Amino acid sequence: MSVLDAPVGAAPGPAGTGEGLVGVFVRLKLTLLRNGLRQSSGRRAAYIASVVFTLLVAAGVLIGLIALHGYAHAATLVVLLAAVVAVGWAVMPLFFSAGDETLDPSRLVMLPLRPRPLIGALLAASLVGIGPLFTLCLAAGSAFALASGAVGAVFAVVAAPLTLLLCVALARAVATANTRLLTSRKGRDLAVLSGLVIAVGFQFVNFGAQRLGQAGGLAALDPAADVVRWLPPASAVGAVDSASRGSYGQALAQLLLSVAALAALLWLWQRSLVKLMTAPDGSTLAAAGPGREKTGKDGPRVTALLPQGRTGAVMERSLRYIARDPKTKAAWTTALAVGLIVPVVNALQGSGSIYFACFAAWMLGIQMYNQFGQDTSAFWMVALTISSTRDAYLELRARALALLLITLPYTILVTVVTAAVLGDWGDLPEVMGLSLALLGGMLATGAVASANFPYSIPQDGAFKNVAPGQAGLAWISIFGGMVSAGLLCAPVIAVTIWLHVAGLEQWLWLLLPVGAGYGALISWAGARLAAPRTADRLPEILAAVSKG
Amino acid sequence: MQDRTETDREPRAGEAAGGPATPPPAVRVQGLWKRFGEQTAVAGIDLELPAGKFIGLVGPNGAGKTTTLSMVTGLLRPDHGTVEVAGHDVWRDPVEVKSRIGVLPEGLRLFERLSGRELLAYTGRLRGLPGTEVDQRATQLLDVLDLAGAQHKLVVDYSTGMRKKIGLAAALLHNPEVLFLDEPFEGVDPVSAQTIREVLERYTRSGATVVFSSHVMELVESLCEWVAVMAAGTIRAQGTLEQVRGEASSLQNAFLELVGAGSRTTGESLDWLGGRR
Repeated sequence: MSVLDAPVGAAPGPAGTGEGLVGVFVRLKLTLLRNGLRQSSGRRAAYIASVVFTLLVAAGVLIGLIALHGYAHAATLVVLLAAVVAVGWAVMPLFFSAGDETLDPSRLVMLPLRPRPLIGALLAASLVGIGPLFTLCLAAGSAFALASGAVGAVFAVVAAPLTLLLCVALARAVATANTRLLTSRKGRDLAVLSGLVIAVGFQFVNFGAQRLGQAGGLAALDPAADVVRWLPPASAVGAVDSASRGSYGQALAQLLLSVAALAALLWLWQRSLVKLMTAPDGSTLAAAGPGREKTGKDGPRVTALLPQGRTGAVMERSLRYIARDPKTKAAWTTALAVGLIVPVVNALQGSGSIYFACFAAWMLGIQMYNQFGQDTSAFWMVALTISSTRDAYLELRARALALLLITLPYTILVTVVTAAVLGDWGDLPEVMGLSLALLGGMLATGAVASANFPYSIPQDGAFKNVAPGQAGLAWISIFGGMVSAGLLCAPVIAVTIWLHVAGLEQWLWLLLPVGAGYGALISWAGARLAAPRTADRLPEILAAVSKG
Repeated sequence: MQDRTETDREPRAGEAAGGPATPPPAVRVQGLWKRFGEQTAVAGIDLELPAGKFIGLVGPNGAGKTTTLSMVTGLLRPDHGTVEVAGHDVWRDPVEVKSRIGVLPEGLRLFERLSGRELLAYTGRLRGLPGTEVDQRATQLLDVLDLAGAQHKLVVDYSTGMRKKIGLAAALLHNPEVLFLDEPFEGVDPVSAQTIREVLERYTRSGATVVFSSHVMELVESLCEWVAVMAAGTIRAQGTLEQVRGEASSLQNAFLELVGAGSRTTGESLDWLGGRR
């Protein structure tokens, strides 16, 4: 029976009545989940794998927390854990908002729904999923770890679901309040850069954990926990602890604080939801205001320094994209950071070798791969202007030159810094020569791979770098290319080894000009080799990079 | 349906004009095929589009208009068939063809992280025009297309109408002989549509050819002198507007008749709609 067959005038659903609405939204969430999984078997496998993994971790954490029962610093650990989980819930929707369609109020705006039942139904729907299940395990484990005595148990039974509700309401309130930002272009750009934030954040957590191990363990955290136990939702967990220790007044205060926080969050959520659904959305406002915001100012004219014609135009666009396109920017920032961190940190720890400096050239050389995929379907603008092998050669060469403009000084910098940290100035020319040869190899193979194995880079999401179905292509491109780049450098590597073995160390400085010259030669040869393939395969490349 | 095409072909536009030396057609397509897996998108079409006209390629969604235009402009490789633009084969002689055509595709991105002006500067230089000339032309195009106020905004922040206009400017920058526009008025507000229209009319008056696709019949009827009707991957009719319209009261009705959709009615299945509430 379709909606068109329903009798006229009969209310088609339980709109407005609280309980019915909860059912509708929970079913909607389950249907969306099911349909999402139905789209591809890969997605299904990934989902099942992540569910199994999450359940295993949740079970592990649960057992671990239960084992904590009676441990002296259990309260500190558990309270801080609750706070960390809450922060996670608050931040997550900012990065992964696209995943949940029930979150999007613009889809509900035409339905005859009152705000209050709607909030209840949305909250119930939000409780469906892996995240909430995991959080419930965590909250239950936390409550159990602290609970002792009958009163403690009662508080635990209330605190666990309350913690979960608080986390979910917090996530929703934050997401709804920021919908305008999240649906704007700037917000989506931010989300793409979030991968970087998480990677860097992980480094800090790692660093902090190490420091903690040195500083004498959990006792160092007790003062922090004393504050956090009064902050919801950690205060709900704190209430269990207080009740178990017999301070019932404090326990009640902490629990009431959590309940009050839940009420406040729901109120805030409802307020911003109503505002969102009745006010014009961001795009309308932006279109109405005459271009006040000038994002692409002319800025310093780099153009003047670049060559004329195609070469300059392509270089300028490539450089602008590194600064402006979130996906390109993220890739470059990662490469620049990792390329520096690996050799320098290893050198600082005393375990490094100056040869690690070649890593920088290698990390940045990867950016030459899949050049046309980085253009997305805008590659048609390039394809329309390439009518000969010469055009294709100029295009590839200009892209390599733009890359060199950053990579060359950077490679030199990393090599010099690594040498300075290690105090190994004698090997500097040799390593720099090797780096430059490797860079040339990466540029050469990158150009060839760009022409032969292009693939789409999805523009949404921080963690998707290959369009579905093209992962194989990306692996062939990058790994085949890197192996070939290594092989291409074999002559320079062989000369290095030979000079060392034959005891001709006084000639090792020669590797700098040899490496630089050889790198330049092979990158030129790579562009030459890739140019006819590019010119012949323009429609095929366009099709391959337009899937994102 | 096929017979009207044949009868319409007899008095050809070029001959009807009666010029002593007929110029080569702007576009000549012969036996063009494209299949995507099981689905045939374009099933062997022949087309001859006269130079210097405003030409509409009309058809319902999924008729193969975009696929055809992509193959004609060299962005998609056909399975079979030849395409000539201004007498040059698109696939064998890309140097001659690519410098003569301007394209505004549908569903493909632009370099959106450039500002409008930067995009034009980039496109013009890729086209091999001297820098000062590009900047001059860009200024005029931005002015005429009412984009001067937004020229320093990133294209990613443009509205649909502004995107179409900046795309049109990029396609016109090198003064092409033939301009291909895929759904140039789709999602465009009336003011921008009128601006685009004026620019295109002025451009065809200079003797250039505009080929654009659309599924809005009224638009095609008001703009075009020459029409090709496409449905299910085939050309159902081509000729001057009058020829294709034939006896029908409007192009819309002629079109519905051509694609065989004229007799479909809603019947009694929706009899409750508009009944007692």
